[in-house]
Amino acid sequence: MSSIEVGTAIGAFTTSFTRTDLVRYAGASGDFNPIHYNDAAAAALGLPGVIAHGMLTMGTALRVVTDWIGDPTRVLSYYVRFTKPVVVPATGTVEVTFAGTVTAVADGVATVTIEAVCDQIKVLGSVSVEVRVA
Amino acid sequence: MPISEAHVGRTYPATVPYEVTAVKVAEFAAAVGDADNPAYAGDRAVAPPTFAVVLAAATWDSLFGDRELELSLSRTVHADQRFTWTRHLRVGDVVHAQLTIDKVRLRGPAAFITISVQLSTTAGEPLCVATSTLVHTAEVAA
Repeated sequence: MSSIEVGTAIGAFTTSFTRTDLVRYAGASGDFNPIHYNDAAAAALGLPGVIAHGMLTMGTALRVVTDWIGDPTRVLSYYVRFTKPVVVPATGTVEVTFAGTVTAVADGVATVTIEAVCDQIKVLGSVSVEVRVA
Repeated sequence: MPISEAHVGRTYPATVPYEVTAVKVAEFAAAVGDADNPAYAGDRAVAPPTFAVVLAAATWDSLFGDRELELSLSRTVHADQRFTWTRHLRVGDVVHAQLTIDKVRLRGPAAFITISVQLSTTAGEPLCVATSTLVHTAEVAA
């Protein structure tokens, strides 16, 4: 973290989600919306299938930042739009790739954006994380 | 009357006190694929930042349980989310959360609902504000 400038790439990783991961997140978070585990509920809402909790994608994405800064309490704010659903098949996995870039640095606070891509489509938009860096 | 702009400003009672425990923090860290971060382990662990959703989700019960609004969780998708932290949650904190309806915009059968959830300790220390836009699609009679 010696040199933090606009455009600095802070890290990237790929992860995969299964239906089991969605059930685990439902239990951990308390968000039991059936569109995240029940095909009929997802179809009733016109979704292409069971989708990952947006909050699971959001929570997972933040690891780009926390692995970079070490101390998670340096995160001051975090915003995302859930632009496209991450459809998770009944069997098998779906991969999502995350990459972070610094977009601003001012007064000891870096602003970072995170790109989250699933099947070549961005699933998060307008991502902005404010991080205390000094 | 189903949800409308008339409900803007409605605030629900705070949730019952919730104690942040090491086991729950570790469970949540594992669920977001971050079980290996030492910050999230132990008796004075900090919670992963988005752990705040555990409290926020608990307040959703008051929103979806408000029969006047005619909202169903299974007809709701999450459009955006913001967290702003004053202090991150830690193991041992006893916290509660309170939901307010900030904004309602109707477009056909869809309602765009902005809610904010204030998390604070039961002693009154503010911790986090979680603001969400939810899109609810009412069932259209066939």
